Amino acid sequence: MTQAAPRLTVEGLSAGYGRIEVLHGLGLAVAPGELLAVVGANGAGKTTLLRVISGLLPARAGRVLLDGRAVTGMAAEKLASAGLAHVPENRLVFPGMSVADNLSLGAYARRRGSGEAVERDRRFVLDLFPRLADRLAQPAGTLSGGEQQMLAIGRGLMAGPKLLLLDEPSLGLAPKLVSEIFAVLGRLRDQGDLGIVLVEQNARAALRIADRAIVLDRGQVLLQGTPKALLDDSRVQAAYLGRGYTEVAR
Amino acid sequence: MTAGVIDFLQLTVAGLSAGSAYGLVAVGFVTIHSVTGIINLAQGEFAMVAAFVAIALLAAGLPLPIAGLLAVLVVALGAAVVERVAIAPAAGSSVVAYIMLTLGVSITLKASVLLIEGPQSKALPAFTGGILSFGGVLVRPQDLWILAATLVAALGLYAFLERTVTGKAFRACAEQPTAARLVGVSPARMSTLSFVLAGTVGAVAGVVSSPVIQTDWNIGLFLGLKGFVAASLGGLASIPAAIAGGLLLGVVESLGAFYVSSGLRDAIAFFVLIVVLVARPGGVFGRTQAAARV
Ligand SMILES: Nc1ncnc2c1ncn2[C@@H]1O[C@H](COP(=O)(O)OP(=O)(O)OP(=O)(O)O)[C@@H](O)[C@H]1O
Ligand SMILES: [Mg+2]
Repeated sequence: MTQAAPRLTVEGLSAGYGRIEVLHGLGLAVAPGELLAVVGANGAGKTTLLRVISGLLPARAGRVLLDGRAVTGMAAEKLASAGLAHVPENRLVFPGMSVADNLSLGAYARRRGSGEAVERDRRFVLDLFPRLADRLAQPAGTLSGGEQQMLAIGRGLMAGPKLLLLDEPSLGLAPKLVSEIFAVLGRLRDQGDLGIVLVEQNARAALRIADRAIVLDRGQVLLQGTPKALLDDSRVQAAYLGRGYTEVAR
Repeated sequence: MTAGVIDFLQLTVAGLSAGSAYGLVAVGFVTIHSVTGIINLAQGEFAMVAAFVAIALLAAGLPLPIAGLLAVLVVALGAAVVERVAIAPAAGSSVVAYIMLTLGVSITLKASVLLIEGPQSKALPAFTGGILSFGGVLVRPQDLWILAATLVAALGLYAFLERTVTGKAFRACAEQPTAARLVGVSPARMSTLSFVLAGTVGAVAGVVSSPVIQTDWNIGLFLGLKGFVAASLGGLASIPAAIAGGLLLGVVESLGAFYVSSGLRDAIAFFVLIVVLVARPGGVFGRTQAAARV
């Protein structure tokens, strides 16, 4: 692990909806170049955690730091230009717009910056997902679920992020596509100093590519450690790797 | 051509001309609703105020084209001020609250014009005089000006939304607001922009139609209602459908008033609205809400 300030630090984070508190004083850190997997049951608060980090939902207590800088309470549209990209649950592509437009909108926060860097990232994304390169003019709403997921990730990468948040990229995809997407995530982890938070219900697949992982349970960190330590933990085996979690095709 | 065919064609041209104005007002409803979810009850007043501003500038000695363009500019900026002052501070309010707010804006604008200009109607002069004849079909030149202005406004809006970064961000915000925020698009700025666009198209409609319809302080009520009906034909979601809806409504009104009863003219819009709301809440030209969201 590098010595630099963590890409992301979350301290004592509480958040919720209405009278219900979902996250209860949660903490975690992600180093540059590190891929942190966040696993947990339905309703554990994984999506809520990412929504608070990216500014879509206000924190009730605690802090979020990006590269050591406090960004708690900053609006989502501002955080996009601070180097954070959030690939949301259910992809949320812009359905009526072309693949090319979806990608260029990913770079919206950089529109006053260098066009060269954006062009380089565009080529990088199309190299990661050649299927998108074949469909640049197609409306995103007509893409298959897997292609939409690729587009959502590509759109996130077009922001040139320092921190990438991914919410269940494997949701609803056929095993072959899941392994394709996880292969890309592996490539992203191995290059540069991008910090990645990967929320997944497919715990096995996520633990296979993660540097570190946490298990979220009812809004709190239940366990954390290396993937190997978690895979060996009997509680994890019982709750998250048992029945219902299918092995990803290799 | 027989007299019957000539009548029909003349009525159709007049209907398209009136319908263009409805279509532009309708586009204003769509731009605001698609980004903010608000139904702007002051939409017709944007047209009314623009006409009066143009009339006043003309009276102050400016040439007609300058007076018209300045009026559009003034109303576009005024719409931005309306959004900042009367809409944005209430962010997150209920639908009813926004109805009250835009109704308040509408009444304020009407009352101001009534106090300043008085109750009588005024009109801009026709942009060019005379009358044109196409094989016996008589056409007012102003009708062609209205159609041309509508075409220019629609193409300009299309180019803005399809070709510019800001236009694409605007569409992104309408299609998928959460994802738009995540890529850095500010919903507050797009809300202001939606009012500017609505003010612009409404003002164009008000200025170009003034020579034909006569402008008074209350004309915004009719323009707004008919624009709303036209917009609802497209489910309040599609700009091309709003324009098509306006043209259709204008032609049906014009033909209905002649062939059925002239007293029917203003009732037709309401009849159309009821039919649309009952039969196809998603709009006649529009996709259904469910299909649009997939
Ligand atoms: N908009 C909302 N309003 C009220 N409660 C919500 C809202 N969104 C989520 N919740 C509740 O917050 C809790 C955590 O939800 P969250 O979506 O964060 O879970 P998750 O871990 O992402 O689950 P999943 O694996 O099913 O996606 C759940 O009990 C959920 O019902
Ligand atoms: Mg979730």
